[in-house]
Amino acid sequence: MNKIMSDKRIIAMYTLPALLLILTLIYVPIVMTGYYGLMDWDGIGAMTFIGLENYAAVMTDGAFWSSAWHSFLLALFSVGSLVLYLGVSLVLAGNVKGADLFRKIYLIPMLLSSVAIAQLWMRVYHPTNGVMNRFLTSIGIENPPLWLSDTSIVLFAIFIPIIWQYAGFYIIIYYAALKNIPKELEEAAKIDGASPFQIAYKIKLPLISGIIKVTIVLAVIGSLKYFDLIYVMTDGGPNGASEVMASYMYKLAFRTNDFGYGSAIGFFMLVMILIVTYLIRRATATKDEVQY
Amino acid sequence: MKKKAFVPFMTLTTAALMLAACGGGGNDANETASADENNSNNTNANANNEAANNAAEDQEEVTIDFMHLWPQGSSPDHHRIVSDIIADFEAEHPHVTVELEVLENEQYKNKLQVVSSSNQLPDVGMTWPAGFLEPYVNGDMFTPLDDILEEDGLRDEFVAGTLEAYEVDGESYALPLELNIAPVFYNKAIFEEHGVEVPETYDEFLEVIDTLAEAGMPPIALGNRDRWTGSLWYMYLADRIGGSEALNSAIDRSGSFEDERLVEAAEKIQEMVDHDAFISGFNGLSDQEAKAEFMNGSAAMYLIGSWDLPNYTTNEEVPQEFRDSIDFFKFPEVDGGDGNVDNWVGGPGVGLFVSEESDVQEESKAFVKHFAQEWGKRSVEEAGVIPGTQVNTEEVDLPDLFVDVLDDLNNANDITLFADVQMSSSVAETHLNMIQSLFGGETTPEEFAETHEEALQEDE
Amino acid sequence: MSSNSTAVESSEGVKIGSFRLKITHLLLYVILGIVALVQLLPLVWLLLFSLKDNQEVFNLAPFALPSDPQWGNYARVWTDGNIGLYFFNSVIVTGSSVILTILLASFVTFAITRMQWKLNKLVLGLFMVGLMIPVHSTLIPLFSFFMNVGLMDHHLSIILTYTAFNLPLTMMILLGFYYTLPRELEEAAIMDGCSVHRMFFRIILPITAPVVATTAIINMIYNWNEFVFVNTFISSDSLKTLTVGIQNFIGQYSTDWGAIGATLVISMLPILIAFFILSNRIVEGMTAGSVKG
Repeated sequence: MNKIMSDKRIIAMYTLPALLLILTLIYVPIVMTGYYGLMDWDGIGAMTFIGLENYAAVMTDGAFWSSAWHSFLLALFSVGSLVLYLGVSLVLAGNVKGADLFRKIYLIPMLLSSVAIAQLWMRVYHPTNGVMNRFLTSIGIENPPLWLSDTSIVLFAIFIPIIWQYAGFYIIIYYAALKNIPKELEEAAKIDGASPFQIAYKIKLPLISGIIKVTIVLAVIGSLKYFDLIYVMTDGGPNGASEVMASYMYKLAFRTNDFGYGSAIGFFMLVMILIVTYLIRRATATKDEVQY
Repeated sequence: MKKKAFVPFMTLTTAALMLAACGGGGNDANETASADENNSNNTNANANNEAANNAAEDQEEVTIDFMHLWPQGSSPDHHRIVSDIIADFEAEHPHVTVELEVLENEQYKNKLQVVSSSNQLPDVGMTWPAGFLEPYVNGDMFTPLDDILEEDGLRDEFVAGTLEAYEVDGESYALPLELNIAPVFYNKAIFEEHGVEVPETYDEFLEVIDTLAEAGMPPIALGNRDRWTGSLWYMYLADRIGGSEALNSAIDRSGSFEDERLVEAAEKIQEMVDHDAFISGFNGLSDQEAKAEFMNGSAAMYLIGSWDLPNYTTNEEVPQEFRDSIDFFKFPEVDGGDGNVDNWVGGPGVGLFVSEESDVQEESKAFVKHFAQEWGKRSVEEAGVIPGTQVNTEEVDLPDLFVDVLDDLNNANDITLFADVQMSSSVAETHLNMIQSLFGGETTPEEFAETHEEALQEDE
Repeated sequence: MSSNSTAVESSEGVKIGSFRLKITHLLLYVILGIVALVQLLPLVWLLLFSLKDNQEVFNLAPFALPSDPQWGNYARVWTDGNIGLYFFNSVIVTGSSVILTILLASFVTFAITRMQWKLNKLVLGLFMVGLMIPVHSTLIPLFSFFMNVGLMDHHLSIILTYTAFNLPLTMMILLGFYYTLPRELEEAAIMDGCSVHRMFFRIILPITAPVVATTAIINMIYNWNEFVFVNTFISSDSLKTLTVGIQNFIGQYSTDWGAIGATLVISMLPILIAFFILSNRIVEGMTAGSVKG
């Protein structure tokens, strides 16, 4: 058994193609990004080597650290939202009549592209015609918030569509994980008189803890490099109030012709995300992965 | 850091601008006027065609790659003219095929930068002036076009001052296809309803704003999420208070941004905000959303480039009644200010470049020359785009509003190039962010000036 | 199969007799129903959006009916440009990358979780790092790479890029499931004289069908809607995908939103159908898996 399952030739056959692909298409760009970070380069003409100057500049760049803080907040909110999605998935995967239909409906927004989601939420947040403010004025609130132009709330206003955008993604993963739990376990617990909550908490959650950890890591990484809706809906504004790391990097690299500095930030982001991921994995590591 | 990207821009003298018969002839009907020039009407095209056919036998087949940003779906008129021009050119030069790649604005800019980094620019493409173009020129990506500008007096076909916006160190790197100024459009019906008149001074302007705002009519549509929209307001106030020299000299570093006239302009912006001049939530609205408010009759005024003229004249999708009620006025004067009411904010938009690395440079240059000339003849009438070449208003059939704008363009005392275009891209980013802050009341006029000054100094 | 599961549920429903539970159930359904309604609204909004003209898109309330439905938006989208060709390209690119990603990711995940070798954690780590790079950092290096290997303006360049960028995510999702597979499965298979390949294709892949379907859905949606890589690596019109349809209506100074809405609706239909088909697999696979497990 052990001999067959540690056959080097087969291991190489199964891993090398994928490894080769990511080494060329992901690691080469990573290395290049780090390298461009050492250059004074507008991304167009010739480059000049300036050593660690860009990286040193990142350290004292207030705009960068404020965007990093925003990304970090987004990561916190995203991880928090997982609880909600887990709850929804537990209900859907439970013995609810019509769960199948509900599940499909719940996942539909996930099919929308970012372009559509951004347009939708801009209509929701419109200061005068928007769904939100029309509702607020109709219940008698006179000066409803200016969601996307008030610098004190814009960040949180934009988190909501981002988190909503990924609802389907996490629900579908949790749902598949929950459905993967053998029915017998639940049946047995039921016979012992366990309530649905007990079954969920004591049996189901521990069994899918592996996938929960994975989703936490995905949520954190995804948030720290998030870009799409922010770019379309606020462009990081007003005056950086909703800027995140990736949008800041993009502006430097592609709008202000500071590709070298933008690359340094891109590389710096990567290192930060790597450290955060490592910390999370260490914090959530248990003795052993759960086995049935 | 990088070198200054300022290109001194444009003093358009009235004389140089007189639109008389300057060779940029019109349609097929008017061949006599321009037949002596070789800027192609049908007769010439045919002649060229024959010559080209003879030569074609020993000419190698070549392809010109041409990248532009006018997709058929959103800009059918532009697209049609482009196709016609290409077809003409291919007919005249049978050995040449023009291959198109069309991307929308944002994606276009990204791709241009990415392909440049690998030295893979298309043979011909579109660029913006000054701050955008400068890194490409410094990187030896674009080739100077002065040789074709000297041929057949091509240089004189362009409106005086426009070519300069694409100049670096005295050489021209693109042929402008667009020229715009920014008037204040207003809704006559709303003005009438509230009994207000077109303001001639800033104080009158504030009164108009107050009257409208008190009546619950949002005075001005502004989508300041896009930031350059707010910049227009600031630029006009800076001009009316300090003349065009105040802002220009701050940017070209012969002066300072902490000039009290520039600070005063910033104060006036905040004064306008305090008077509820702009629609609610303007800092979070895109220009398109703001425009929708204006076109819906939910705002009385809208400051935007003359590229928007078709919406108020020829665009059939817009109700006739609305189009009829739109007019524009010149930005009001400020009492005691140095600005001239005939100073405008504006400038050329996209222009055609030829790649330095192109292996079909000769054909490409012939193509951009042909393109700029033909475009100039047709763009304003057929697509509502005021070209960089001179328009003979007598030969084209245009709605009144267009004629008025063209007249004002001709009588312009001075045109200051959009600040975010004029500045290097990194200073522009600071400027635009500060604009949002200033309008949002999160920065004082003094801090506003100081931050600009720091960014400009650092960039020197 | 769905009738099968309802039968199980209703027999349980009989068991639950108490009135309080019924109320809780009712409440649950009301909540589920409301959430479902809210989740359906975006689709309704998009349909209405696609029938509005540019004025109405901004001025009407999002769920107001257009006064004069602009079916012309659809006609324009259909006739302008090569929707048919773009559609075909989208299917080719999305289909190939989804299959390639899932196959490669399954291979690697299997090797990492089920086979014994020293460097498995390190290799896993190498893949995880792939999740962390911001997309825009990769554009210039990848462009020059594809340039040098002659894959520029070729579908392979985007298929390979999609595969590489989705591999880490797909693997992470698969990973959680592979860890929960009982060891006895392989032991039994090997006892029976099964080769590793046979075991992988005949036992492991079918058992993981629910999660494979899940990752297929996720991959499919991502690839179908992606446009940054397409625009950067593809220049021939004949090779572009449906996302260029959206760009076609974005102008220099103004955008034709109604037509964009129509494009979004048209390009969403195929993934909606694929989604419903794949989505059923999540449950079907489960029953198959639990029978064997």
